[in-house]
Amino acid sequence: MKAFRTMLDTELKLSLRGMDMLIFALCMPVVIMAILGILYGSKPAFPGAEYTFVAQSFGAVAAIAICAGGVMGLPLVIADYRQKRILKRLQVTPTSPALILAVQIVVYALYAAVSLFLVYGTAHVFFQYRLEGSWLQFAGAYLLVMLSMFSIGMLVGGTAPDMKTAGIFASVLYFPMLIFSGATLPYEVMPPALQRIADLMPLTQGIKLLKASSLGHPVEDVWVSVIVLCGVTALCSLFALRFFKWE
Amino acid sequence: METMIEVENLNKSYHQIPAVRGVSFAVGCGEVFGLLGANGAGKTTTIECILGTKTSDSGTVSILGLDPRKDRKRLFEQVGVQFQEAAYQDKITVSELCRMTQSLYKTSVSPLGLLEQFSLSEKHGSLVSELSGGQRQRLFIVLALIPDPKVVFLDELTTGLDSKARRDVWKCISELKAKGLTVLLTSHFMDEVEALCDRISILKNGSIVYAGTVSDAVAASPHEKFEDAYLWYTEEEMSYESL
Repeated sequence: MKAFRTMLDTELKLSLRGMDMLIFALCMPVVIMAILGILYGSKPAFPGAEYTFVAQSFGAVAAIAICAGGVMGLPLVIADYRQKRILKRLQVTPTSPALILAVQIVVYALYAAVSLFLVYGTAHVFFQYRLEGSWLQFAGAYLLVMLSMFSIGMLVGGTAPDMKTAGIFASVLYFPMLIFSGATLPYEVMPPALQRIADLMPLTQGIKLLKASSLGHPVEDVWVSVIVLCGVTALCSLFALRFFKWE
Repeated sequence: METMIEVENLNKSYHQIPAVRGVSFAVGCGEVFGLLGANGAGKTTTIECILGTKTSDSGTVSILGLDPRKDRKRLFEQVGVQFQEAAYQDKITVSELCRMTQSLYKTSVSPLGLLEQFSLSEKHGSLVSELSGGQRQRLFIVLALIPDPKVVFLDELTTGLDSKARRDVWKCISELKAKGLTVLLTSHFMDEVEALCDRISILKNGSIVYAGTVSDAVAASPHEKFEDAYLWYTEEEMSYESL
């Protein structure tokens, strides 16, 4: 535990010094929440809707930090530590290199949690948003989305031969998901053809789940999303562990 | 004398090209053992197979009577390692790296004392990336000594250091040796090997071509200086071919 705490403490500091997650995981979601709020205010999500546009978007915007941390931050830091042989150096100490991975997962989970808090704060204070569904259900959904995104990140970071490959894979996953999964550009305004393509992305399914649980919609509507996310988590974790390279 | 490191008939090939061939040696308690050889002779591969960061094709290794792969966690409580290239996180400071390293061990010595011993006290708050090559090298020796090890592995311990810094490192190693530390080191500097090593093995193309003390190595060669003797051992085949 001493090693975990010291390492978490150090890695958090290093990550904050790096600045990129401050921008992509903490500032960006708040800015997007603010823009959506200013543009659409407390207008209903669609004519006759019982909830506002802001309420409809909350779940999506809350997922931005998960996406940034999971498919950008996490794979890059793992690939970097492998390329720099930091994992190898840890192999000749009593700790397991697994510890540093656990530490990184906690670092990015913390970013996601802080981002969730900030996005909710922004929506609540400026746009009178309240979570309609149960917080417990929403937290469960948030955790599942996080697990599935982080498992994708572990797979990319754990198996990419070098930083460059990890960077390419991370970008290929990150930017389309950020734009087309509904995290930034609202899913509801996309033409149906684009929606069908977006549906193939795991994050789109995650955002559907987050939306449903934040709006208090029945879980029956999103069971497909739950199954997809569980499948992604199981498969990616399995492959990440099976094909993991320390060096 | 108690055996601290025992290597028996170690073999390792990369893509069918042998890198280490039938290497065997033992290092006793409190000994400084030097593994010598030209670049590519198999020194680093040998060390990595001993440490278990590479898997050997055949042969057995034991350090402190433990198997480095099976008893990894128990063994590395008591073994310090300095790899040839320094591995550290971007933007990490000297004190953070020391504190993080210290946290990995159940028992450890204070990094502050070690930093002072290696003249790095003023660099405590500096970024590791901003240290000079020599300072960084000394920092990684400090990291290897933080667990208060019984055995340390130092791969090219003074490469990149200036003469003064090298002498300082020798002094520290000699002091540690006097306290009973066992050291396995590799080096390209023959003056260093003469000053520090009780026994040496010279590797050529992955095989040991000489094992024994420095003075015996000189005596068994047609030369008077150790550096000449070393070159004679590593280049023997070439002169043989030219005859």
